Amino acid sequence: MISLRGVSLLYPNGVRALDHVSLEIGKGEFVFLVGHSGTGKSSLLRLLYREALPSSGDITVDGIRVNRLPSRRVPALRRHLGVVFQDFKLLADKTVWENVAFAMQVTGAPTKDILRQVPRALDLVGLSHRSRMYPDELSGGEQQRTAIARALVNNPKILLCDEPTGNLDPANTTEIVDLLLRINLKGTTVVVATHNQAVVDRMRRRVVRLENGKVVTDKERGYYYLGLGQGQVLSG
Amino acid sequence: MDWGRVKFFLGEVARSFTRNTLMQITAIGTVAMTLMLLGAFLYVRTTLADLGNGMLAQIEISAYLEPNVTPHQINALRAAFKVDPRISSAEFVPKSEGLKELRARMRGIIDTSLLTENPLPDKFRIRVRAPQLVPAVAKDVARLSGIQRVLYGQQVVTRLLQLGEVLRRVGMALIALFLVVAGIIISNTTRLAVYARRREIGIMHLVGATNAYIRMPFIVEGLVVGILGAVAAIVLLVAAHAMFWPRILEALPFVRFNTAVVDVPSLILQLFLVGAIIGSAAAWVAVGRYLQT
Ligand SMILES: Nc1ncnc2c1ncn2[C@@H]1O[C@H](COP(=O)(O)OP(=O)(O)OP(=O)(O)O)[C@@H](O)[C@H]1O
Ligand SMILES: [Mg+2]
Repeated sequence: MISLRGVSLLYPNGVRALDHVSLEIGKGEFVFLVGHSGTGKSSLLRLLYREALPSSGDITVDGIRVNRLPSRRVPALRRHLGVVFQDFKLLADKTVWENVAFAMQVTGAPTKDILRQVPRALDLVGLSHRSRMYPDELSGGEQQRTAIARALVNNPKILLCDEPTGNLDPANTTEIVDLLLRINLKGTTVVVATHNQAVVDRMRRRVVRLENGKVVTDKERGYYYLGLGQGQVLSG
Repeated sequence: MDWGRVKFFLGEVARSFTRNTLMQITAIGTVAMTLMLLGAFLYVRTTLADLGNGMLAQIEISAYLEPNVTPHQINALRAAFKVDPRISSAEFVPKSEGLKELRARMRGIIDTSLLTENPLPDKFRIRVRAPQLVPAVAKDVARLSGIQRVLYGQQVVTRLLQLGEVLRRVGMALIALFLVVAGIIISNTTRLAVYARRREIGIMHLVGATNAYIRMPFIVEGLVVGILGAVAAIVLLVAAHAMFWPRILEALPFVRFNTAVVDVPSLILQLFLVGAIIGSAAAWVAVGRYLQT
């Protein structure tokens, strides 16, 4: 579903954010991307939704050669992907319903599809009862669920999340992670970049660790730190 | 027709339009000023051109014949004038006729009975189809055999033609300047609108909206500014016309303006068109510059 082969990313300012990264993510997988701040997690995700182009290497997403994709075809790629961020990126002057519908409206979806899909997405994230509210009337968790509903409303096969729980308290974090898991169980490939050790260690999913732009470990049923669970880490 | 889609799109345009009302009003005002100038210029130019043409149309070329010209030569000249497409009429005026005309014109000024001998040569009185053609035709006619001298109101014709040209150029330069200013102001308005909506635009890019789709509302906004500017310009022009035109006519009673020559519906259409084009084109340029991803 997602494949990176020898991918390097050199920003114009000379920072090498990714250094010969190779990674295969299969259909329906749930993958955590972990690593210290500035090791290239966000950069890797940005390459997948073609917000950045690699300096070298090949990237394939859902059969699309992303690094060879002409700009005019980028919208088509993005309609196959859902992307979620730490800061939700909701529009304050639109209701929950309108925020979710927005993703379909601006891609020219027919009204009858919108009327069918939006309630379905809101139902999936458990926000049907909040559909007429505005973002600032919602809790952080509800705002992130709105953002997830928007990311899913076009039925993407892949959901990319960059620190989805970064702004949330533990209770809301658990809620969002459970939601991501449910989405994954329905067959969507989910990639989550996170700093949240508790979440990673509780979930026991595939964990890919980056250090200085390189993949250093890649473990099925992994922990946040090299093969060690929470509490097993020695201080320092 | 998917009305839901149309409604959403128009809602987005309206939302963006009302976000920066002051700037939009400035832009509409500038377009209105520009179009008023253009409209007034076109109106006055058409009227003046008609006036000038009227004066020029009365100008005739007198081609005086050599004294010993033969009837054969006269016929040849007549035939030559007939085939020249620029000449609308060429009338032979024998010297006896010319004298009669002269007497009529000079009656009361001098005692024409003193003219015992006819000093006038025979002539052709030539009219051309367009006043601009007068100098060239006169020059060509002077070269024909049997023609001694060609006279027309040289100075009047060239002055009028020159004056018209100068007025036209000054007017065009002014209008071009105003169009550029209006374009810049609309571009700036569009830039502000794009900036105000950068979050939405970011999300649109993220969820896979095409650049064309993202640009569309801004271009429609520019179009609306242009059209509203045209409406304002037309309303103001009509009011100004009702107020000032009678006074101008009153102040210049000896000039016979004929405003019936102005095609008002087509003038209004032209102003709408120019407004729409300048509005959408300026927005197009601005949005193209500021939406590069
Ligand atoms: N647009 C950019 N231009 C230049 N350098 C950048 C840009 N974005 C990120 N970088 C640099 O690239 C490196 C990787 O950044 P990235 O955001 O991918 O890290 P990250 O792993 O997501 O960090 P964090 O966990 O703090 O979000 C950093 O050194 C960062 O300073
Ligand atoms: Mg990051």
